[in-house]
Amino acid sequence: MSQTEQLLKKLPNDIGGMPADRIERTDHVLEPWEKRCHALADVLDFHKILNTEEKRRGVESLGAEMVGKLTYYERWIAAFAFILFQKQILTPDELARKMAEVEARHLEASTP
Amino acid sequence: MTTHDHDHDHPKIIDEPMPGYYEIMETAVRELLVEKKLISPGEIRRQIEVLDSRTTALGAKVVARAWVDPEFRARLLANGRAACEEFGISFYDDTQLIVLENTDKVHNLIVCTLCSCYPRPVLGLPPDWYKAKPYRARAVKEPRKVLAEFGTEIPDDVEIRVSDSTATVRYLVLPQRPAGTKDFTEEQLAALVTRDAMIGVVKVNLEQGIAV
Repeated sequence: MSQTEQLLKKLPNDIGGMPADRIERTDHVLEPWEKRCHALADVLDFHKILNTEEKRRGVESLGAEMVGKLTYYERWIAAFAFILFQKQILTPDELARKMAEVEARHLEASTP
Repeated sequence: MTTHDHDHDHPKIIDEPMPGYYEIMETAVRELLVEKKLISPGEIRRQIEVLDSRTTALGAKVVARAWVDPEFRARLLANGRAACEEFGISFYDDTQLIVLENTDKVHNLIVCTLCSCYPRPVLGLPPDWYKAKPYRARAVKEPRKVLAEFGTEIPDDVEIRVSDSTATVRYLVLPQRPAGTKDFTEEQLAALVTRDAMIGVVKVNLEQGIAV
């Protein structure tokens, strides 16, 4: 099988059966924002805006590098943003402006 | 020398650290969706409460009931979701639940090779290792080695069945009731059942539990 053929047959999420490291029994208590991110996913699912399979595919389409480097909920929120752009629910401009606003608000709050 | 006639910013005493890039993105996405009236802040708060209410203890109660009540066990194996709902566990997601019974001949293990699907309504959120590459990649290929890394030795004459979860079909392992628990109450039995036993990476044993 050629190398490119393999890339097509095994998308980034499809890792079942691949060689991998020894299992480390890792776990952590979710950060508040991670839990909010999870709740957001569930609520979007309830409203039929974004379902589990779309979410999984959204993470996959971030590409192998981002999938490898971002943490679990970082991948989720990045995927949600791209999916909401595709569905024309949000625009990249709108999100960039809102992120600047949220950041400014936090800076403001932390200024004595 | 004056101390405070300069105009630079002092490090501030901040209760909460500045949120990171992704947290800012989460807040921004959520607020935009609220502004567009697609979701409400109350729904997010309520769902966080739902997530907090789901822990391994729920699954453990289901297992203990199945051990003491053969009719419940039969209903649980026939339709996991219906039996859990009858038991008072609501399913907040659109998933089916298949309960896999461990026996002297078969040991079950659950995984989600593609991502992190998990029986969340009954067990809460999965541990990090369940979502990480080593477990997802290897569980379907070399389950005996994986189990050994959890300290679980399964005899060669016992078949190992690995079930790969999907967005709509989730699994829960019904572990074997350990020997020496004949006189245990349902509550004492539930205290023996761990999350990892319901994933199938360990067995239920008396030493692990807090009953006895």
